[in-house]
Amino acid sequence: MSTTATAELAVQTERRDTPRTPILRAVLLRQETWLLAVVVVIAVIASVRNPNFMNPDNLVEILRGSVIYFIMGCGAALLVIGGGLDFSVGAIFTISALVGTSLISQGVPIVVGILAALAVGALAGVVNHLIVTYWHVPPIIATLGTFFIALGLSALITGGNDVVPLPADFMKLGQGSVLFVPNVIWYGLIVGALFYLVLERTRFGINVRAVGGNRQAAVGNGLRVVRIDLVLYVLAGVTAAIAGMIYSARVGAGQVEAGGSSVTLVVVTGVLIGGVSLLGGLGSITGVAVGAVLLSVIDNALIVAQIPPQYNNVVVGAILVGAVAVDHLRRKQLYKPR
Amino acid sequence: MSPLSQTSPALELRAVRKSFGPVNALSHVDFAAYPGEVHAIVGDNGAGKSTMIKIVTGIHKGDGGTILVNGQEMDLRHDASQSQDRGIAVVYQDLALVECLDISTNMALGNLPYRWGVFLDRKRMDAEAAAALKDLNARVGDVRTPVGLLSGGQRQVVAIARAVRMNKPIILLDEPTAALGVQESAYVGRTLDRLRADGKAVICISHDLEFVFKHSDRITVLRLGRTVGTRTTADVSRDEIISLITGAAPADTLQEAS
Repeated sequence: MSTTATAELAVQTERRDTPRTPILRAVLLRQETWLLAVVVVIAVIASVRNPNFMNPDNLVEILRGSVIYFIMGCGAALLVIGGGLDFSVGAIFTISALVGTSLISQGVPIVVGILAALAVGALAGVVNHLIVTYWHVPPIIATLGTFFIALGLSALITGGNDVVPLPADFMKLGQGSVLFVPNVIWYGLIVGALFYLVLERTRFGINVRAVGGNRQAAVGNGLRVVRIDLVLYVLAGVTAAIAGMIYSARVGAGQVEAGGSSVTLVVVTGVLIGGVSLLGGLGSITGVAVGAVLLSVIDNALIVAQIPPQYNNVVVGAILVGAVAVDHLRRKQLYKPR
Repeated sequence: MSPLSQTSPALELRAVRKSFGPVNALSHVDFAAYPGEVHAIVGDNGAGKSTMIKIVTGIHKGDGGTILVNGQEMDLRHDASQSQDRGIAVVYQDLALVECLDISTNMALGNLPYRWGVFLDRKRMDAEAAAALKDLNARVGDVRTPVGLLSGGQRQVVAIARAVRMNKPIILLDEPTAALGVQESAYVGRTLDRLRADGKAVICISHDLEFVFKHSDRITVLRLGRTVGTRTTADVSRDEIISLITGAAPADTLQEAS
């Protein structure tokens, strides 16, 4: 085939059409940057009102508070990036923790109890997937349904009573620390690192972005989208179960009232604030981490600064709306109509 | 070389049918594409061209008839990955590109290179994409550019390069020039010429008759879900093809009878 220089021009892009974004601009464009700025502003205000805010113990407390949301957020974020949504995570958190702690309190080995809790989370994910994929119920409705079912079952299983007491060995898992860092924070780091690797460095992670970014294209390229969906719903359920068990170990009880709608809403909010797009394809684990820390900072700062808790919801709501608006702007930058 | 002198078609459809509920999208489609030919499929809107391609690639499931790949029957209810395994690469009309992923990822999608079992081999992916684009004389900029930032013509080039890179013996293209300007169309035409020279069976759906006459060896005309005739491009006039498309000329009786 002979080609001429002029013909090549037809498909050649001039370099300036698609420049590599300069580093400063790239940093400014990232959602994390702006979230960190918000965190700093809140921290400054809080420490002016109460110098104890910057106390190392308080900072560790903030991180510890964010871990539950972060771990659940990892699973939820992957699912949202893959084009799904899970509103049932707050209830999966509750039911799997209750099943796990009940077993442990009855003398079942701790490891088995934890595995049972994870199995409940995974099963809930499978159920969500079946309803969404085979009954064609939109994810938001399907998982809202399983949310109520799981919450109702939790109350039925326990008769409305918290599971206490729990063995000291189990509680140590949530209360101890290694190398001066609380165990809970280690769990967050480990889960976060795993999800980061999966999303950014594995074929599965790329396929998840492809499915969420353009499902039809993913199907056309031979991706097994139904199987990917299944794994995503299971991961969302399993991370909720992990968070539920960590929380139970930390507070020393399987609580019927823990979890539920507030946890679901906070997790989904954290994921969206962290820059994961509800439209699929875009998002990062680091964003989810900053989102979770931000929520925890707001929680803590308002208490420490003695601002009435009602303001918490106002601030979170405003940040959520702002973050999603910014996401829309990013999309406009990334996709131009062809 | 006359394609008809070859004994076995690379891709053959016999009496393929498909309906969507009460709508009869395809009632009887046959054609045979041979290695080393560019086989154009033409027809008016609604003639069933895109439905036909989607049945071959497994997006839709056929209701009846036979699809043969190198003489071997393919299940009508196969999925998209099976058609890849059988040696078919496709350039969809909507291109099937994921806007939020970059060029090299899109080009490897469905077949991402890896190390140690699960980890993405980013370097190899970028290198292969750059090599494939260079091989086609296509310069679309940095392979790390998200596809969402490319123009329509650039996206078409990426989609074609992806299909070519798979190096499958059969390539289907659905309206590859629909969104393109004159120079870009010429580029696509040269790419088809080259694929033919490489001995591929190239099936190209198009309603751009100028393009079809310039680059195809044979033309199959579909009308209202039926194959109404196949002609050798060199022996047929534009008017005859147009009258087959519009129904002004009767369909070939051979196909009507079966």
